[in-house]
Amino acid sequence: MVKSTNDRIANAVVFVILLACGLVAVFPLLYVLSVSLTPFSEVLKNGGFILVPRSITFDAYHKLLTESNIPRAFGVTVLVTVIGTIMNMAITALMAYPLSRKQLPGRNFFLMMVVFTLLFSGGIIPTYLVVKSLGLLDSIWAMILPNLVWSFNVLIMKSFYESLPEELFESARIDGAKEFRILLQIVAPLSVPVTLTIGLFYTVGHWNEFFQAIMFVTDRSLFPLQVVVREILIQTQQPLENAENMTPSETLQMASVILASLPIILVYPFLQKHFTKGMLLGSVKG
Amino acid sequence: MKRMKAVSVMLAVIILSCSVLAGCSSGNSSNKESSNAPGGSTANSGESAGAIKLDIIETGNNLPTPDKDFIKQAIDKAIQSDLNLTVYASGDDYKNQLNVRLASGNFPDLFQVPDRASLKQFVEQGLLLDLTPYMDKLQPVKDFIGDESLKKTTMDGKVYAVPKAPNIPYNTYWIRKDWLDKLGLQPPATTDEFLNVVKAFADQDPDGNGKKDTLGLTSSKISAFAPIFGAFGVGDPNTFYVKDGKLTNSLYDPAMKDALGYIKKLIDTGAVDPEIMANTGLQHQEKAIKGQAGIIWIDWPNLSKDQFTEQIKKVNPNADWIQLAPPKGPGGQYDGPFDIGGTSGIYAIPKALENNKEKLQKVFDLLNFVSGQEGSMLVQFGISGTHYNLDGDKVVPTELMGKEAGFTWLYQFTGRPEMTYLQTKFAPQTKYIEFANSQPRIQILNGFLTNPDGYNPADAGRFIEEEFVKFIYGKNPLTGYEGFLSTLESSMNFKTYMDASTKQLEELGYGK
Repeated sequence: MVKSTNDRIANAVVFVILLACGLVAVFPLLYVLSVSLTPFSEVLKNGGFILVPRSITFDAYHKLLTESNIPRAFGVTVLVTVIGTIMNMAITALMAYPLSRKQLPGRNFFLMMVVFTLLFSGGIIPTYLVVKSLGLLDSIWAMILPNLVWSFNVLIMKSFYESLPEELFESARIDGAKEFRILLQIVAPLSVPVTLTIGLFYTVGHWNEFFQAIMFVTDRSLFPLQVVVREILIQTQQPLENAENMTPSETLQMASVILASLPIILVYPFLQKHFTKGMLLGSVKG
Repeated sequence: MKRMKAVSVMLAVIILSCSVLAGCSSGNSSNKESSNAPGGSTANSGESAGAIKLDIIETGNNLPTPDKDFIKQAIDKAIQSDLNLTVYASGDDYKNQLNVRLASGNFPDLFQVPDRASLKQFVEQGLLLDLTPYMDKLQPVKDFIGDESLKKTTMDGKVYAVPKAPNIPYNTYWIRKDWLDKLGLQPPATTDEFLNVVKAFADQDPDGNGKKDTLGLTSSKISAFAPIFGAFGVGDPNTFYVKDGKLTNSLYDPAMKDALGYIKKLIDTGAVDPEIMANTGLQHQEKAIKGQAGIIWIDWPNLSKDQFTEQIKKVNPNADWIQLAPPKGPGGQYDGPFDIGGTSGIYAIPKALENNKEKLQKVFDLLNFVSGQEGSMLVQFGISGTHYNLDGDKVVPTELMGKEAGFTWLYQFTGRPEMTYLQTKFAPQTKYIEFANSQPRIQILNGFLTNPDGYNPADAGRFIEEEFVKFIYGKNPLTGYEGFLSTLESSMNFKTYMDASTKQLEELGYGK
């Protein structure tokens, strides 16, 4: 393996470019983190721009965790995310598995129906009416049930299941296993990557839950994290409505952003490995 | 065959489990829902028997959860209600929510109407309850906001909503006194002096850091020049006012061209914030706090509240912002326009409530309560003895008021007596409040207008703003002003708007 000088230069160039891209991606996050940890007066003295904090304070976090709605909203979001993701995964798997079996009668028809929802939806008002008539308004179910299944994920899972060798199923059947048993004991253990990937899609979706909460929930104690964080962030972007409004300082705003995004950022590294694998397996596998 | 059977069992299981899940969840919350429905005859929410649940939505923020919301608890106790107030931080989110609820028939019992255009739309769609026959039941509200105020929500002679009590102007120019002193200048009293000071602030390094990094003037959008327009005796673009006994629109005011000419001169100095049209939200305020600008057009809360003075002092202990009286010009001396038809909020009741007498009465009770002595004090200052003490007639705030009563304004559905309220809540800022309130303003009438069909205010507004920017930045010569007006009339239906507006205002007795 002798590398020519040309190769080395090319490598170096690629390395530098990638490093620059990486830095560009990390930069905003670092800024948010730094500002959230710096006393606001410090931030202002520096003309509102800080990358490495010179003095560190946790005041903003302390304030958010003790005086705002954030802890409660955090609880709501965790609840919605956990319950939601479990239900999402169960229903998605139960839907994808039969659709992946070629012998399913009317398979094309069901597939069509799944794809149809990818392209068309009822719109806000009909959805609202359905949610209302099911009595889901003002409950955490309004944030879980309307998006119980994301058809795109069903299709990814379906094609993953299709990629499993048919012989596995045959041998399982010869041993006397029924479909449920095959799904639980043969298919499920083999599809960890796709399960984690799709689970992550759903988790992130629930964690970022905003629109449905704004639409279907009016009870403040049920507001999820993103709604509360947005309320903190948006106050400086609007003209003054009332003199009494306490405009949150930038430090406070950034701290709320960190609180809202940190948990999900922390999850990523652990799922990274499966994530890329799952994505690939789901896509090109003729 | 066997396989097929297994599959169909599977399908059945899926369908069953779906319906069971849905069933469970609807069972869980059906109690809540029934009391939510506006048509429900008995709306008992179980835990507080006899209390009628009222759904209210508006824009706002910082509302605590119901268990910590002492205003809700106090009102509930006073009028036997169960208030469910929901506030939306963003106006767009609020409009979405409101539209969806109105369209789906799940009406809130009292809601904020975003603006007069929406009021007109809702009235035409027959969504709002005509309050005219109920006026005698709303006597306390009427007394509180004044008869004149109801004009703002009257359409075709019928009152469709309740506006908040009149507000007062907050905006003035603010100027860095320490910068003036450093450069040996006086606060500018005329437009010429104003020009010089703006230029000096940018050129002569008032912050003394050896760099040319300061701006003479900043603010957000064209309103930055409101007192300049005022100095020429015109209102902000597209405002109606009575001038020399005649109803005038600022765009057609002959002095408008002079004002634009002067503003162009101001911008040509290069001392005006080049991002002035791009500043949104509080970006201009930030620039002022950071010490980047010497003059700013802003409301007093955003520059003189304790929170901000603290920040200003931290950046530069010598920074000294003072309010500036509007500069005198050829057209007089006016600190921008003030809309006497404007209101800081309109609240309407859905027509659907007509058939639910009990609930309707409760909404009236609520409005009357927050307009009455006891209720008004509650929603202004909080709980007597906890958040304030009475010293004769004077309200003495306690420390707790500043700490936890900051959200009470969300319950001021009919507003508040602005001056006394602000002076109590913002005692240290009293002189700024009084200064801003006592400046002469051009009284504009736009708040009374209803847009005619075929006129799109958003489009026209954007067009006017764009063309004005071209004029003041010298992209188009001012000789093209008449051309601009005729394009406006021909492509934006502005003529229809002018005719309709003139007719409406004359009916109200202006300009005759």
